[in-house]
Amino acid sequence: MADAALFVTDLALGLLLGCVFAVIAHGLNLIWGVAKVVNVAHGEFIMLGAYGAYFFNVWFGFNPLLSVPIDAAIGLGVGVIFYFFFLFRELRGKESMGPQSEMVTLVATFGLALVLINLAQALWTGNNVGIPWSPGVVQIGSVQLPLGGLYVAITSVAIIGLSHVFLSKTYLGNAIRAYSQDIPATQLVGINPTSTAAIGTALGFCITMAGGALLTVWLPTGIYPAMGNLYAPISFVIVVLGGPGKMWGSLVGGLTLGVIIDVGQLFVGGSIALATAIGFLILIPVLLFRPEGILR
Amino acid sequence: MKLPAFRSFGATLWGIGLFLVVLGGTAPWIPAFLLTVLIQLLIFATLAYSMNLITGLTGYVSFGHVVFMAFGGYALAFGVGTLNLHPVAGVAFGAVVGLALALGIGLVTLRFRGVYFAIATLVVAVAALYIVLEIKELGDGQGIYLSLRFEPLSWFYTIWVILAIEVVLTYWITHGRIGYGIRSIKSDEDAAKTVGINAARVKLFLFALSGLFAGGAGGVYYWTLSGVFPYQAFDLIFSLQMLAMIVIGGMGTLLGPLIGAVAVYIPSYIFLTVLSGFQFIIIGIVVIVIALFVPEGIVGSLRKYIPELRGVLE
Repeated sequence: MADAALFVTDLALGLLLGCVFAVIAHGLNLIWGVAKVVNVAHGEFIMLGAYGAYFFNVWFGFNPLLSVPIDAAIGLGVGVIFYFFFLFRELRGKESMGPQSEMVTLVATFGLALVLINLAQALWTGNNVGIPWSPGVVQIGSVQLPLGGLYVAITSVAIIGLSHVFLSKTYLGNAIRAYSQDIPATQLVGINPTSTAAIGTALGFCITMAGGALLTVWLPTGIYPAMGNLYAPISFVIVVLGGPGKMWGSLVGGLTLGVIIDVGQLFVGGSIALATAIGFLILIPVLLFRPEGILR
Repeated sequence: MKLPAFRSFGATLWGIGLFLVVLGGTAPWIPAFLLTVLIQLLIFATLAYSMNLITGLTGYVSFGHVVFMAFGGYALAFGVGTLNLHPVAGVAFGAVVGLALALGIGLVTLRFRGVYFAIATLVVAVAALYIVLEIKELGDGQGIYLSLRFEPLSWFYTIWVILAIEVVLTYWITHGRIGYGIRSIKSDEDAAKTVGINAARVKLFLFALSGLFAGGAGGVYYWTLSGVFPYQAFDLIFSLQMLAMIVIGGMGTLLGPLIGAVAVYIPSYIFLTVLSGFQFIIIGIVVIVIALFVPEGIVGSLRKYIPELRGVLE
């Protein structure tokens, strides 16, 4: 068993990492809540967000935090296009998504994932790239934390908090939440289901791509076309851990997974691979015993 | 279960049977380079039929089939490299490992429906890679290199036999008594349960069979490659190719997976020599378009729009 200082450091790092995981999962959570179906190409939009931050750094010298709002704006547009291309036909005039539509969307977005990965590979080669940005470290007691990770964690919590305020305090946000709960009732009170769902999906993509930009701070050389294959399952696990459709669920799930991966490796002989596998497989018992997520 | 009489076998089964017999009969005279293409085609057809057993017949989208294929390959590599088995015995070992894994994974994940099943299988596939990376006996993350001989005819007849068994089994399952149960599960699982169908057992049976054949096909695939390497073996692109084949060919049909395998594999083989990487962009676009606009696939649409074909194609 490792000593206490190492444990505290890993716990803190896990919490910081968990915050950024929470943001990328939060985007998925919103789309899931609105459309009741998983976007299998989620990881590829994280990849696009990360590449966005990379190119803004190469072209204009922006650091990843400055790229966040730009990526988010692009994400809004992408989300609207995605909604009308992939979800509109399946959701139009229906009270909920049937098994057939669910399968169609799963398969179609999986096809989209394939297109995006290989397009990125063709355009930007398969080589790993990264953003050289490290604002130093901060010493808290005996624990050394990367300052960049700390900024990212603060931004992440702010993004999730803002989306929470938007969804609970504004008319549009309430409409989106109503839509995710009961589509016919939403129409009865005079809310346009199509534009509400489109805005909800767009918001999800906005947060996803912003999360991709934030993630680059943690990945000094880890931006590559197939990176979504790792971060999409992470997002799925987090959303299920926190409970789909629960606004604070992504944060709780993200922190849990971050801590499991970072602290878990102390218990399995320092192997990140095994700790990651455990982090993923934790999904199965959660689905079996608490399908509504760890939050009540 | 009583087998239907030979005469009632239907044109599709006869057609596939004729195709396989002609292929099998002429194999010794086919030039080696063409034979290797055919072998890959049959491997992918076997994988497509395996995916068809669970996703096509019950509507449960599995993203985790690559696990059975990869472990089939690892079982072959372990059996041949460490236990000194003959490669054909290694393939059989791979199939058994696939079956055992499918039973284990299916027992847990088949409780979830729709999106949750898809996510659970995806997560299992990703976790399996990270676990294999840490196992010393399986190459310790470096993969296993075998120095097997180049013997296209043995590869060909092994996968030929596996595919033939699989097609007959698919026919037998869909036309037997259990076929009614499977169709009712696909349309409405809750209703199926209320009329006394043991949905859990039927699904597990299909998933296990599907794991068996995916494991066997994986064994042959890595036999032809003479080695298995973790990052390539667990690449989710294999799951996607299987899904793409049955989506394009027609889900849950008898002929669909074969047509899909031809439609996906042959263009990707041609593109591979011209523009590598682009084949997946095109396959992806085709999958999106077919899934969104013609979800019945090639065989399903033919049946839908040309009523005369309904008695012939299945």
